[in-house]
Amino acid sequence: MRGIKELIEEAGRCVRCGACKSVCPTYDVLRREQSGPRGRLSLVEASFKGESGFGGAYLKNIKECTLCGSCHSNCPNGVNIPELILAARAEGVEKGGLSLAESFAYRGLLHSERFMQAALRLASRLQGLFLKGTAFENGLVSRFSLPVIGGGRLLPELADEFFLDRSHIEELSPSATPVRGKKGGVLRVGFFAGCGVNYLLPDIGEATIRVLKESGAEVVVPQQVCCGMPAYSAGDRRTARDLALKNLEAFEASGVDIITTSCATCGHGLKKVFAELLSDEGLQMRSRVERFASMVRDITELLTGELPYKGGEKGKKGGVVTYHDPCHLRRYQGISEEPRRLLSKSVFTFKGMKHPCRCCGLGGGVGFANYELSMEIAKEKASSVRATGADVVATACPGCMVQLKDALYQSGVKARVAHVVELL
Amino acid sequence: MLKATARDEITGIVGKGNASFGKEELLCYSYDATNSLYPPDGVVFPGGPEEISRILRLANTEGFPVIPRGAGTGFTGGALAVEGGVILSLERLKGIREIDTANLTADVEPGVITGDLQAEAERLGLFYPPDPTSLKFSTIGGNIAECAGGPRAIKYGVTRDYVLGLEVVMPTGEIITTGTKKTMKGVVGYDLTRLMVGSEGTLGVVTRAFLRLLPLPEAKRTMLVEFLSLEDAAGAVEAVINAKVVPSTIEIIDDVCIRCVEKYAKVGGLASVEAVLLIEVDGKETGVQDDVARIRRIASERGAKTFWVASGRDEEKDIWNLRRAISPSLSKVKPTKLNEDVVVPRSNLVGLITGIEDIASKKGVVIASFGHAGDGNIHVNVMVDKNNAAEMQRGMDAVKDIFELTISLGGTISGEHGIGIAKASYIGMELSAEAIEVMRGIKKALDPNGILNPGKIFPKAFRQPQHA
Ligand SMILES: Cc1cc2nc3c(=O)[nH]c(=O)nc-3n(C[C@H](O)[C@H](O)[C@H](O)COP(=O)(O)OP(=O)(O)OC[C@H]3O[C@@H](n4cnc5c(N)ncnc54)[C@H](O)[C@@H]3O)c2cc1C
Repeated sequence: MRGIKELIEEAGRCVRCGACKSVCPTYDVLRREQSGPRGRLSLVEASFKGESGFGGAYLKNIKECTLCGSCHSNCPNGVNIPELILAARAEGVEKGGLSLAESFAYRGLLHSERFMQAALRLASRLQGLFLKGTAFENGLVSRFSLPVIGGGRLLPELADEFFLDRSHIEELSPSATPVRGKKGGVLRVGFFAGCGVNYLLPDIGEATIRVLKESGAEVVVPQQVCCGMPAYSAGDRRTARDLALKNLEAFEASGVDIITTSCATCGHGLKKVFAELLSDEGLQMRSRVERFASMVRDITELLTGELPYKGGEKGKKGGVVTYHDPCHLRRYQGISEEPRRLLSKSVFTFKGMKHPCRCCGLGGGVGFANYELSMEIAKEKASSVRATGADVVATACPGCMVQLKDALYQSGVKARVAHVVELL
Repeated sequence: MLKATARDEITGIVGKGNASFGKEELLCYSYDATNSLYPPDGVVFPGGPEEISRILRLANTEGFPVIPRGAGTGFTGGALAVEGGVILSLERLKGIREIDTANLTADVEPGVITGDLQAEAERLGLFYPPDPTSLKFSTIGGNIAECAGGPRAIKYGVTRDYVLGLEVVMPTGEIITTGTKKTMKGVVGYDLTRLMVGSEGTLGVVTRAFLRLLPLPEAKRTMLVEFLSLEDAAGAVEAVINAKVVPSTIEIIDDVCIRCVEKYAKVGGLASVEAVLLIEVDGKETGVQDDVARIRRIASERGAKTFWVASGRDEEKDIWNLRRAISPSLSKVKPTKLNEDVVVPRSNLVGLITGIEDIASKKGVVIASFGHAGDGNIHVNVMVDKNNAAEMQRGMDAVKDIFELTISLGGTISGEHGIGIAKASYIGMELSAEAIEVMRGIKKALDPNGILNPGKIFPKAFRQPQHA
């Protein structure tokens, strides 16, 4: 991360034209200057310049940003407002401003993966106590408000058996003609599952492995931990840094040619944030992280790149599919055509939605910090989906999937939500 | 400073969540696109005209200023609390109440984003032409208060030409309706609608607008024409108008501006040219084809280097993104932009352009020019650094020269951005003392206590801006 001085200098390029407000999902819903990029920038800039006397409203406003990045891509002067907000959050954490529920989740749960797993395993057995099933979507609605989670929302059921606990995933050979890697042997792909896949949506993991094997790769799933992005977005850089290091070591030891993930957020973390978090730790570490990052591919990128997906049976008998662009894929990794290209090879008929790259509202911790706001943002997405009349909404991020399922459920839109790889 | 009792009363009027006196909100409502900082004493988000009326009555008894604010994208400081007081944000009033396809009218609240109204009208096959470059993020209320114009003014006129009537809360709290709601004509009494349009939030608060719409033109073509000199480009504009072709847009962009937005240029190689015209024609399909052919011929006679017609929506969008990025991008040249929007009769466009080039070299400052050449309205940006006193002074001198030049060419010193605080000290260059007195008389009659947006339009001393 760039230093405060450099960030202030960049913020100085803002001429207050207000163009960013037109693309900001939270401004769109809240309609208050402080809930949009221009206001947030003004607040953080003033605070970094030493202006004092900011209180709870300051923290609330910087926590309400989804970090979707639209303001940055739309800024005529290229000001990176999300980065400024991340820096402000990190400062808030250092000063002890992070709320109790969040520090419990990020510090306690994520930091100790053993504790996290034990806690969630217990929760998986007890979930009936807190959550009631719905006939409508696959998922559970919380019966009452949980500390980090909030009441009334549709949560995906915790998996009976977590993905990374499954014994059959450890080392898998290709099920089709093998593709060669650079070193001459069979292309060896390391799969980074991420918490969304591990705890909530293991089917995505299964589908990813299946498609990788069918495309001719050898797959390994090294022992791994959370990518750290939830902690990072909340400003908890210490936790995020420790997790990054553990993952780096795990994948280095696995001797893979390529690392892939089916989570857009993890992908951004592995490609860019790890380097940022570990870059101050000496030259040797820097070159290790760089090498690691250069091996990372989003699954849709890999299947349209080094490991081309050939497409299965022909015919468009799967119904209509539309696609939602995850912020972390489109704006942070520049990947938007690849998933669409894959979908066009599936048995589904593709139909684009209005504003496909508008944020679903979950990101940047907003889904936790302010569930109502997050759902308000998601409503627009639900109506875009409704307008397409699609049977399935595809996307490429488990986080977005959780949010879309909830939003579609709340708005009564009867489309199924799936990851692109699940449709191949 | 606002008394604690006044704060409580304000909060009582609009409800707790809709009034703010916290440091964070005050900071966020202290600026607009002039990028200067005047923290207000409070911010209030009224839910309708009755609440606004009660706030204004309170302001009259308590004696605090009230400053209407739309999106805060104004270029002349109209929405700044230069004398302190309460910002009256109209962001909550964002309803498009009706689009009447039988009468071609719209009934909207002032906080509606102009681009949203346009999109909604288009969906119904209708068209709201006024298109300030800020249309994706400025409000109808702000557009009315500034009489905003845009590239399409050459053919379709400005905001004023589409306002049939208004609902206005007067500075003393009365709620009145002016003009008509759905008829194209109406001459009963004084034309208060026209008085309100362009009054910069100093004569009343617009709470509803009744607007005129047009049928959406069937076809459109967008062209980008490159020239080796700004004079050639300006000459081509004059020639097109002379030939009685009326494009819906002719925008001129000079080399300084081109350099700032090159990265948006997915089209053509802009690097080697000195000036660009962005021309758009609309109407019937056969008509636009004919217009494109005629403009192509005129342009080549006038020395155009390349002539390029956008194929399809995406290319049109690219061109407009490039155009809309110019104004904010200019800060790449110099941090401070003295941003003027002078207008001359179109036959004097070349005179204005060459005159400005002379002023730039005489005063030793960089001047970036672009804008609505088709209607003679050029955005002249004198680029300086406000921390460099000598340069700042040369810039201010250049501005004065530009205004003198404009007036000598039969023009006006502001076409669409308004006067606000930025140009208040210059209005005497264009208006006679008597005319200014008539205006002051109107202000006094409608706002005897001077509580609505004080410190704007008329030259007056007020506090210095804060810098964060
Ligand atoms: C990048 C950029 C490009 C621009 N391009 C153009 C352009 O092409 N053409 C053009 O004309 N302008 C342009 N502008 C200037 C600006 O966008 C317009 O003046 C616009 O009309 C301001 O609208 P707003 O909602 O932001 O108003 P604000 O800036 O909030 O307010 C402007 C004035 O209107 C008053 N006001 C606002 N709402 C009301 C209301 N409901 N009742 C009474 N008074 C009210 C305020 O008191 C203030 O005096 C541009 C600005 C930017 C930043």
